[in-house]
Amino acid sequence: MTGIFHRVSPQSLRLIALALALLATILFFSTQIDGYLSPRMFNRVTTSVAVVLPLAVGQAIVIMTRNIDLSVGSILGVVAYLTGQLLAVLPDLHPVLVVTLAMSIGALAGAINGALVAWGRVPAIIVTLGTLALFRSFLVEYSDAKTITTASLPAWLVDLPQANAVTVAGFDLRVTVVLALAACIIVGLSLAHLRWARRFYAVGSNPDAAIMAGINPHRVVFVAFVLSGALAGLSGFLFLAKFGNITVVAGMGFELKSIAAAVVGGVSIMGGTGSMLGVLMGALLVDTIDNSLTRWDLVSEFWREALLGFLIMAAVTMDTVATRSLAKLRAKGGQA
Amino acid sequence: MTLPAVLDLRLISKSFAATAALTGMSLSILPGEVHAIVGENGAGKSTLIKIMTGVHQPDSGEIRIDGQPVTLRSTQEAQAAGIAAIYQEPMVFPDLNVAENIFISNRAQGAFMRWSAIYAEAETLIAQLGVTLDVRRAASGLTLAEQQTVEIARALSLSVKVLIMDEPTASLSAHEVARLLAIARALKDRGVAVIYISHRLDEIFRIADRVSVIRDGQLISTKPIAEVTEDSLVQDMVGRALDSYAVKTAANPHGEVALSARALARAGVFQGVTFDLARGEVLCLAGLVGARRTDVALALFGIAPATTGQIILNGAPVTIATPRQAMDLGIAYVSEDRRKLGLAMTLAIRSNISLASLRKLLGPFGLINRKAEADMAETYRQQLAIRAADTTVEVGKLSGGNQQKVMLAKWLETKPKVMIFDEPTRGIDVGAKAEVHNIIRALATEGVAVLVISSDLPEVLALADRVLVMREGRQAGILPIEDATQERVIAMAAGQTERPAA
Repeated sequence: MTGIFHRVSPQSLRLIALALALLATILFFSTQIDGYLSPRMFNRVTTSVAVVLPLAVGQAIVIMTRNIDLSVGSILGVVAYLTGQLLAVLPDLHPVLVVTLAMSIGALAGAINGALVAWGRVPAIIVTLGTLALFRSFLVEYSDAKTITTASLPAWLVDLPQANAVTVAGFDLRVTVVLALAACIIVGLSLAHLRWARRFYAVGSNPDAAIMAGINPHRVVFVAFVLSGALAGLSGFLFLAKFGNITVVAGMGFELKSIAAAVVGGVSIMGGTGSMLGVLMGALLVDTIDNSLTRWDLVSEFWREALLGFLIMAAVTMDTVATRSLAKLRAKGGQA
Repeated sequence: MTLPAVLDLRLISKSFAATAALTGMSLSILPGEVHAIVGENGAGKSTLIKIMTGVHQPDSGEIRIDGQPVTLRSTQEAQAAGIAAIYQEPMVFPDLNVAENIFISNRAQGAFMRWSAIYAEAETLIAQLGVTLDVRRAASGLTLAEQQTVEIARALSLSVKVLIMDEPTASLSAHEVARLLAIARALKDRGVAVIYISHRLDEIFRIADRVSVIRDGQLISTKPIAEVTEDSLVQDMVGRALDSYAVKTAANPHGEVALSARALARAGVFQGVTFDLARGEVLCLAGLVGARRTDVALALFGIAPATTGQIILNGAPVTIATPRQAMDLGIAYVSEDRRKLGLAMTLAIRSNISLASLRKLLGPFGLINRKAEADMAETYRQQLAIRAADTTVEVGKLSGGNQQKVMLAKWLETKPKVMIFDEPTRGIDVGAKAEVHNIIRALATEGVAVLVISSDLPEVLALADRVLVMREGRQAGILPIEDATQERVIAMAAGQTERPAA
């Protein structure tokens, strides 16, 4: 038994555990909810994950550098609103340009966070707690509590959520889902193969050593927040496409979802570790549970938030316990 | 001596606020030499290293590399110019693997990670150092010595001309030290200049070609190693002759047995530890790193309690399961890791000293009597010669030796009957070391039973009345001080399977 623990890395173990948890969740709800294993439910979950996934990917990069971004939900809201407003005025903008603009607005907001954390030396939790409120208040003030409605949006955007990329055995993969997946995969490949991206791990793993190794940790942290903002911008665009109607509360509470997905997906809050495959599975698990609870009659859907909170705590607790017992197992194996 | 210097510092001065750290410091490093630098803490060594590695910029003076004047504005620029450093606390990334740690700052490799090439090159570099190490392993599981090897390999990968080793052996066991010195020689044979900074003079005589002494921010002397003796070095360092920097006073008369351990063990960690410690006696635990000496102390202090065996205090068997119990029984533990276990770095000296004995300072309504606290701290500041303007200074701002004294004061105030010291002089300079030794001996003279864990053999021999040698979690034997020599202790600590270190 201990042999397995020696060969399989803790990260792979966690991915296996996540896959099992996801499977168990799906099996459980399929016995509770009628028509659960249907293409409709698959669509419901995947399009919902598509909105959360870019947020979670950005959050993961930030957490990897030993920081946290609480403002992503507010950035999402601001970007969704501004992009919707822009499209109402200029409906002929090219879709690629629209996505780029959404991500740029997000990146700008992220740059404010990043500059304050990296060079202002203000702890990330304070900076982003501040901007969480500031960006949201800006949205309320700026929008004058008016709502963006589907009617003002161009047809291509309204139709986007229903557009299929591929269909396999009756299960559709929507274009929005593919967009979110692409973002996740690009970031994942970059983290593994781009020399510069390895610095996110280095800075989170040991900031002092990073300085000694000639890395500028401030710049790395800044870039992490800019990326997080840009990805929140992408989520903002996907949110706009999915719902069409944008009010001032758009994306409220999404910071909790993004942190849950990242942490459940194995990104250590101590920094330095995390994989995008884990984040993808974390986002899937968190959103599957979230979406299933809304359809489950036995439990009030108001428990969803509580469950998110519980998941975050459980993931971190399990991490601590698992790391400790794994270390013990290895110590014993080493002596034998 | 016609070789041109690879690194030349000319009249470097550097001040911080009103304090001059370096004044007109000059130093010339030749290619392929091991150049030792010695000096007390506060002599300016750290500032000198930081200037050479680009962390600080000099206020005046010139740095030349291969004869060319250079400006080093960051560690990155220093590395590009061929200067790198490794430190006492290795700077590795625990979550990255060995190979990636080695190449993390290597810019000559393009934007993409070519993993197979990286592994192959890392293996070559590690092999050149004469060490075996799996380059795919995560750095988090490596020993200190292995982490240093990774750092040296990193420096090699940058094709350094000058490698600075700052107190590299402070935490290493004897055979790891031997291996590090072998690596230093290998570097030297490749033409790399090694700047070797250490408090351990015996190592300097084993490895250095030349030795420079600095004091008060100035170069006192640079001499070939053959022209200096330990005495002359110490004299240059402190600026006065020290007749006894590690000479023991006569053994104290011992009182009755204060603390006994009988077949003490903690499952999977250590076993079979049996000793009697008398009042007024100093018992030293010697052994290689990994011999589990600290674990014995942690068991006696209740942090990681023993699972079998007996602890007898003043003739009565006791159970110690928590530090609180140990403290109530009169046992104090001065830990090795000042930062993590010993001191609250951001608090004032006085708050640290009173921390373990706050109960005594409680006034009406259970509030802390500030005046009494200040007075008590001030007494210790004078008695132990803690170098700080007053006791409101933050502990984090003190030098290592003075931090150690604050920690001593904290535990002395609990008036312990048994005092355990874990590496009491690690990383502190010769002068402060002698002071700490005197304090420990004085404590014993007052009738305290003292247990000292030390990896510094000369220190063990200077302090101990008896030496308990441990090997791989077992007690290898107890030597009376008359029979304890460096060779015998090392032979016992290393056992038959290990070759005794030279």
